[in-house]
Order: sequence, then C-alpha cells, then structure tokens
Amino acid sequence: MLRSEAVDQTLDTRWFDPARLNILIGVLLFTAFLVVNIFRARAKSDLYVRPIAGLKALDEAIGRATEMGRSVLYVPGLSDMSEVGTFAAITILYRLAQRIAEMGCDLDVPCYDPVVMTVLDGAVRDAYSKVGRPDAFRPGCVHYVSAQQMAYVAAVNGTMLRDRPAANVYMGSFYAESLLLAETGATTGAIQIAGTDKVTQLPFFVCACDYTLLGEELFAASAYLGREPVQLATVIAQDWAKAVAAIAVTAALLLASLGHPTLASWLRAA
Amino acid sequence: MTWARKVLSIDRRIIFLLVAAGVALPLLRPVNLPITVTPRVQAAFDAIDALPAGSKVLLSMDYEPDIMAELFPMSVAVLRHCFRKHLQVIAMTLYPAGTGLGERALRTAAKAEGAVLNKDYAWLGYKSGFQVVMIGIGENLRGMYPVDFYGTPLDSIPVTRGVNAYRQMAMVINLSGSSATDYWIQFAQGRFHAPLVVGCTAVMATDYYPYLSSKQILGLVGGMKGAAEYERLIDTVGDARRGMDAQSLVHLIVALLVILGNVALFVARRAGEDLGGRPAGSMTR
Amino acid sequence: MRRGPLLVTFLSGAAVAALFFIPHHQAQAVNNKLLEWTLVVYAFALILGSMSLWNSHARKLNARAEGWPFSLVTLVSLVGITALGIWKGVGEGSPVGRIYNTVNSPLASTMFALLAFVIASAAFRAFRARSVEATLLLITAIVMMIGRVSIGPLISPHLPGVTEWLLDVPNLAAKRAIAVGVGLGAVSTALKIILGIERSYLGRS
Repeated sequence: MLRSEAVDQTLDTRWFDPARLNILIGVLLFTAFLVVNIFRARAKSDLYVRPIAGLKALDEAIGRATEMGRSVLYVPGLSDMSEVGTFAAITILYRLAQRIAEMGCDLDVPCYDPVVMTVLDGAVRDAYSKVGRPDAFRPGCVHYVSAQQMAYVAAVNGTMLRDRPAANVYMGSFYAESLLLAETGATTGAIQIAGTDKVTQLPFFVCACDYTLLGEELFAASAYLGREPVQLATVIAQDWAKAVAAIAVTAALLLASLGHPTLASWLRAA
Repeated sequence: MTWARKVLSIDRRIIFLLVAAGVALPLLRPVNLPITVTPRVQAAFDAIDALPAGSKVLLSMDYEPDIMAELFPMSVAVLRHCFRKHLQVIAMTLYPAGTGLGERALRTAAKAEGAVLNKDYAWLGYKSGFQVVMIGIGENLRGMYPVDFYGTPLDSIPVTRGVNAYRQMAMVINLSGSSATDYWIQFAQGRFHAPLVVGCTAVMATDYYPYLSSKQILGLVGGMKGAAEYERLIDTVGDARRGMDAQSLVHLIVALLVILGNVALFVARRAGEDLGGRPAGSMTR
Repeated sequence: MRRGPLLVTFLSGAAVAALFFIPHHQAQAVNNKLLEWTLVVYAFALILGSMSLWNSHARKLNARAEGWPFSLVTLVSLVGITALGIWKGVGEGSPVGRIYNTVNSPLASTMFALLAFVIASAAFRAFRARSVEATLLLITAIVMMIGRVSIGPLISPHLPGVTEWLLDVPNLAAKRAIAVGVGLGAVSTALKIILGIERSYLGRS
C-alpha cells in the first residue's frame, strides 16, 4: 500500500523539464559553434591555437626516455568511463602511444578500472599499428592493478621505485592519490607531466610535477597532439563558448546590480 | 657546503621525522587548543538542529578505512547530534568496506546518546552503484533496500516504516571522501530537491563552496577541522578535537620549515650560489 | 566494421543526453535501466581485469624480474582470497571479511596517512620565493596553514577571518573560472565522442 502510494506520487508525465531550458540552449549553442568551426577548419587548415608548455614537453619526455633506454609510465587517472576526464586520458594516450611507437621506447600503463584497461589496451594497440609498428607493441604494457585507491598507489609507487621510468605522465581524474604518486615520481628524478580536471588536485601536481595541464587544457590536449583541423576546431568552439559564458555572466551581474535579476535566475542551473 | 645549502638540500626523511613527532606528541600529551567555529559548519549544525523531533534523516556514510581519520569522528558527531534531537536516522553506505565503519559509528553514537537500533536508527548497509541507488531511493527505497543490513524487512522497522522516498525524509546527509558527494548533489538535491548537508575531507571542501552559496547544500563540514568544530557545537570532546592539536602542530612545523627554506634561499642567493630549480607556482621550466 | 560501435555510441550518447531533459517517469525508467547495464558490464570487465593481473604478475614471476616475490604474494593472495570467498562467503565475520578488516584496511589507512609526510616534503620544496607570483603563493600558503588550525586565533584573532576571505573570494573566483573551462571541455569531449569526431577509444581510427 505504502509502496504504490509512494510511487504514484512521483510519477512525472512531462516530456520536457522547463527548468533545464537554459542548459538545452547552452548545449545547442555549443553544438552550433562546433559545426561552424568544423566547416571553418575544412576551409582553411591553419587554425591558430596557443601553445601549451606541458604538451610540448611530452615530446621531450619521450625523447629523454628513449635516450636513457627507460620506459614512459602513463597513469590514466582513478576513475571509470563515466568521467569525461577518463576519455581525455584515453585520447591523449592514443596520440602519445603513436610517438612512443615511432621513437621505440617502452610504455607502461597501470590501470585502476578494468573497463578503462580494456579500452586503453585497444587504443594503444591501434596506435602502434597506425604508425606501422604493430610488432613493437608489448602485450601486457596496459595492465590492471587494483580498483582500490591506496592499493593502486602502492603498486604504482613500487613500479616507479623499481623500474625508474624516465617520464611519468598523469592524465585524467585524480583524487587523494595525486600527491602520493607525483611526490614519489619526483624523488626518482623522472620528468613529470600531469593534467587533471579535478581542481582540488591541481595544486599538488603543480608542486610536484614539471608541467601541469590546468582543467580544460586536459580536454584540449588530444586536439593539440593530433593537430587535425577538425579536432582543433573543437578547441576554438570551446573558446567561443567561454566568451559567450563570460558575456552572459557579466550581463547577468550588471542587470542584477541594476535590480533586474531575471537573467541571473534563468542562468542558474536547474 | 654553506648552512643555507645544507638546509635547502635537507634529507626529506628529517622532514618526515619532524612531522611524525608533531603528530605523536600532542596525541600523547593533549593541549586542548581552542576551536573556532566557521560559518559553514555552523550552517550544517543549524540545519540539522532546526529539524523537529521525530523527523526522518537519511545519512549516507560513503567512505572506506583510508579516510576514516577525517570522516569517522564527523559521523559520530553528526549522529550524536541527530540522536540528541530525537531525529530518526536511516543510515547507509555506498562503499563495501564502509559497512564496518558505518555500523561502528552508529553503535558509538548510539551508546553515547542512549539511542536504540530500529527505534531511533536503522542501518541499511551497503548497496552498489552510486547513481542507481540515489535515483532508486528517490522513487522506491524498498526497491534498493528490501531489507536492512541484518535482514529485517524495512516495513518491520519502526524507523523506516512509512518512508519510501526522499520526500518522506526531512534531510539527506552525505559524509564522503569521493565523487559520491557530486552525485548526491546532482540526484538527491538536483533531481529530487531533498535538503542536503555535506561532510567531506578537508582537501575536497573548497570544491563544494559554490554549492553552498547557491543553496544547493545547506551546510558543509570539511575534514577533521570541521568535525572538531561540530564536536564543539554539540559540546563533546571526541577524536576530532583531540586530533586538531596534532594537526595544528604539524601545520606550524611545515610553516616554519617553509620559512626556514626561504631564509636559506635568500642567504644562498646573497652569497651568489647557483641553486637551479624552477620557480614554484609557475609551470615553465 | 567501425560503423556498428559508432552507431551504438551515437544512439546511446544522444539518448542519455536527451533523457537529462525528459523527466517523464517512463523515460527515467529507461535511464535507470541503462545505468544498471553499466554495472553488469563492469562485473564482466572485472574478469578481464583479474586475467590481466594474473598475466602481468605471472610474466614477472617467470622472468624472475626485479621484485618478483611481490608478484608471488599478489598471485597467492588473488587465488587464496578468491577461493576463500567462494568457500566461506564474503560477508562481515567471514574469513575474507576478517582479512579485509585486519589486513587491507590498516594498509590502506597507512598509505593514506603518508600524505601528511609527502605534503610536508612537497611544501618545503615547492614554496620558494623565486618570483613575485611564487612569493604571493608562499605567503598565502603560510597564512592558510596557520589560520585554518586551532593555533591560528592564538597568534592573531584576525587570521581565521583572513583565511575565510581567501577561501571565499580569490580561491572561489579562480575555482569557478577553472570549473567553467572544465565544464566546457567536458561538453566538447562528450560531443566529439557522440558525433564520432573522436574515435580513439574504439581502438580503431
């Protein structure tokens, strides 16, 4: 009796939530920016995007690992496929693995999530094939470690201390383990490059790593590394959207200060 | 090697020893430093304190042993407050290793305040899947938890009788050290509009300040410091208040080490030594 | 070959995005079902994870690579705990439960506790007044470290207020700015995947 009453009261028969109209308009606007910039990119291929020091350093890191005959350790974050940061980690590794295959150094990818491991394994295999070096792919270089945060940290720190990789690359979503990993890496003398969308972990990476990609740079990294016009178009669309967001916030602030809070209330997410 | 260079290249194990001493000494000889209550913790306390006796409160303790130092004392303090106010607590966890901790927190608080299982609180235990469980509770609690942790059907437990969704609960309290909090905000508050109070680790706390100012959460208890403030508000001395002495001393040691390092850097520079390295806070090497 | 996975990605991505805007109970039931499927997929992937763990450590053991005794411990634990779990169950009070509480939990807590030590070491190394920005960072860090703990008000009654201001104003402003960038980056990545612009996750380009 209680259950049926409880469920009946929650039945929602609306096919659209008007409180989320602002989000829908934002997404549609962003999609429009994306389409416009993809057409622009196809028309002219020399789209300018500002250089990011951390991404330039990736080549330096791979070169250093090759010279020293040591491996590159790639840590793809401690999240599952529901986090967009994990997708960014996958796309970055895909580009990075191509350079590693070309240069001929070793790659080690310890994974926290078994689904992410499966996807990364396929992406790395494909990256090696794409540059014509499928034979250089070492089975097991992408491997599962543990889905427990601190057990994972212990295992990866052990790898750093034993194998002494020349470069440690941390990309994706990180939590309390960020400093434990990066600080251990720093003691081994490895060049360290990090990028995360988790704002609270950024200071730890900035302290302990040589280069850090801040927030959105993580998502733009794949486009930078690939240099494909369509990918770069998405970065420019992102900048357009950011400009619109800045204008909307400023307008809402000014209007609210003048006693017209309608825009500010409308912008507030549902 | 000058003293300045020696300080700058200090063996990090010496720093570790200083930190260890800073943690251990105040725990062995407590100083009981005063605790100042911040507005965010006060807001959390006030939100819970304003609930009428008999209100149902859902408490999700989403953490595992690794962060229990911060969140376990917080759980006990919040639970003791709830029991004192005669609120009926429905407790759960979204982490498998959180069952033992959650049960222990409930027993500790219940013993201190004289609360009784099933009469004053229910312990539902663990259920996997963040989003699935949170959305499920919004629609049908019994679909997620047909029985409690001990196998008793929810309809046979006085605390859970008549409760089947967020709207029959006066508040949701989430104590977590992971992204579980984001999901509670997104689903319990965002979709089902449940009043939400959050407790999290100190490092995560600033992530949730925007939600506090947008009133998506009613209060925020951050880390051991937040737990110590909560203990002060309910006028008890628990693990958090005892731990704050150690935390204060360690912060002081680190601050002094940083100052010492900078004095050494200044002296070494004046002496014309080449120290190398990169500037902190800039990402260009 | 590639069209199938791309189509599945497009349809499921577009459906989940659309379901965000549709509060209808039937639509939400579909959403819940999709979320339940992810749990099922995860359970199967765990088998792949266990196989990967086995293979990687067996390889180290066979090659007597550096640290092979650790690999042996891992493999014995993997087999032993799995067998115990199947034989005696995994609930509270079972042997697996006891091992979890008495071995795994203290080890995890110990690893987490190491954070206090590495934070101190990293702070000592990183907070150096080498530039104007670094000096600002250094001063803010010291004020925050002292002002946020009980000893702060004893040094100056204004310190807690200063730390609150630092957290509420400059910190929150910077955080929100980064959050806007992260949000747009996340939407951009999601759209690239749904629209098939980004395909590296498929393992084929």
